[in-house]
Amino acid sequence: MSIRTVARDDLKNAARSYVVLGVIGVFAALVALVFVAERNIYPDPYRTLFDVSFMTFLVFPLFVAPLAYLAVAGDRESGVIKYVLGLPNSRAGYVLGKFASRVSVTLAAVVVALAVGFVVAFATFENAPSIGRFATFAAVSALYGVSLTGLFVGVSAATSRRSRAMLGVFGAYFLLVPFWFGFLPIVNLGTVLDAVATTFGTTITDSTRSFVNSLSPATAYLFATEPVYSGVFDQYPQLAGTFGEDSARLQDQRWFNALVMLAWGGLGLLAGYVSFRRSELG
Amino acid sequence: MSALQTTSLTKRFGEFVAVDDLDLDVESGEVYGFLGPNGAGKSTTIDMLLGFLDPSEGSATVLGHDATRESQAVRQRTGLLPDGLELYENLTGREHVASAIETKGASDDPDELIERVGLTEEAARRRTGGYSKGMKQRLGLAIALVGDPDLLVLDEPSSGLDPEGIKRLRRIVEEEADRGATVFFSSHILEQVEKVCDRVGIMSDGELVAVDTIDNLRAELSAESVIEADVDGTPNLAAVEAVEGVTAVSERDATVELTVARPAAKMPALRTLDDTASVVDVTIDDASLETLFERYTNGDGTPASDGESEGEAATGNSETVADAGGESA
Repeated sequence: MSIRTVARDDLKNAARSYVVLGVIGVFAALVALVFVAERNIYPDPYRTLFDVSFMTFLVFPLFVAPLAYLAVAGDRESGVIKYVLGLPNSRAGYVLGKFASRVSVTLAAVVVALAVGFVVAFATFENAPSIGRFATFAAVSALYGVSLTGLFVGVSAATSRRSRAMLGVFGAYFLLVPFWFGFLPIVNLGTVLDAVATTFGTTITDSTRSFVNSLSPATAYLFATEPVYSGVFDQYPQLAGTFGEDSARLQDQRWFNALVMLAWGGLGLLAGYVSFRRSELG
Repeated sequence: MSALQTTSLTKRFGEFVAVDDLDLDVESGEVYGFLGPNGAGKSTTIDMLLGFLDPSEGSATVLGHDATRESQAVRQRTGLLPDGLELYENLTGREHVASAIETKGASDDPDELIERVGLTEEAARRRTGGYSKGMKQRLGLAIALVGDPDLLVLDEPSSGLDPEGIKRLRRIVEEEADRGATVFFSSHILEQVEKVCDRVGIMSDGELVAVDTIDNLRAELSAESVIEADVDGTPNLAAVEAVEGVTAVSERDATVELTVARPAAKMPALRTLDDTASVVDVTIDDASLETLFERYTNGDGTPASDGESEGEAATGNSETVADAGGESA
């Protein structure tokens, strides 16, 4: 099957480059650092997972970006694409193969980082880490990784040059993470919502605001980590403050958060492919 | 039967017309030299044949399939060596060949193909990131040969090759043609196609300006030769110039330069010269195909046209194209 061959070649090519090993290594080191730093602050490793989730939410896209943005654009700029598409590969098979390769690197980064975190937690925390909580955390983070990789490979497929792919990927990061979440004063989604509301002479309820807020893959990821702390929300005020109350709101349904993440990844990849299918590879 | 046929194939990039109303017809089993200077539109044409680019107008049929809509089917039976081939830098040469075999569902032995193109076993085990241009070309040729394709499309295959590589390339093209494959061979250097090609098409500025056999093209222009003869003594230049077919004579430091308009004039001219002063050495610069090539393309990539100094060549153009059409019918 040609998708398999494309994916295997791309993965081998990547795995033999220091960039990929470096990115996985640094991400694992960051996760380990959070555990080491908090070993004497909290007795429970899951409390540290909560902090890791914020770090992942904010910086993991910056690790996925270099792993994904050249998937197609790099081949187009270098000309390697004429080797792959000179063979009887379809363009869909090519894009899917590239995605499969890059997503497996992303998943490896998640697994390695959390395995390292687990070992550090096991060795240094007062209470032993729970395999179940770590596995849940890894699964949710993996979903976030799949979403980001799909979106970024999609951006890569829609661009013909590395510089544009980089701009696209970092633009998407800025929009979906700091802008959407509201890290910066004024320059955020809230300002846009207010402006829209003012234009139509209405106000936006907190629940609408929270719903819109949950539509980024990054915020959806934060919402989706809730099951990691099931049964222990009351142990730490921060967990209670974030996940404490039960709610029937759509954004508090885990399936909905997962759907948001998958939609960004899937639709991003699809949009990239649709653009790539018609593009000229001269 | 045609292996490859284009009808009014045109490619525009904005205002720029890279390929202009191209009608190509390459017979099955033929070795076709696709010639033209850099920027003539050769690679753009090849990109359309392989489905990398969509034609702005017209169409191309390759091995019975529409080149744009059925590109995958075309590529299944075509071996491509693209111009300036680039490869996965961290994969070895052998891995590339093995993947090509896998993708085409072929049963070749990668080592055999690698040996056939003259890549050493040791080089094939190295990553292609460290390959020279010539090694990449050899590997690219091995990839193109995978699965005994019905059509080989070789875009500037000799670039970067050493003389041994060029000889080997020629032999492989001949072997493939003997096997029954059609070979579509692009080059900007005539010398490299004249020995292997049944017919050549000359592209200039996006247009096909001539299609014929090399011999016919040469005859068409009654290509001239330049003879340099070292003489011992004082030659009678006027006598030599009087020989029929000699168009120019000059002498410098005991070397006489004779220009003859046709091959048959060479010996009479030399004999006459030898009678007046004994000839001690001779070099003949045959009607270089380069000259011929330049006439068709005006040396600067613009097609020769009426009203320019190369009027003779220009009038030959349309006839040549028409001849070719008749010949292939």
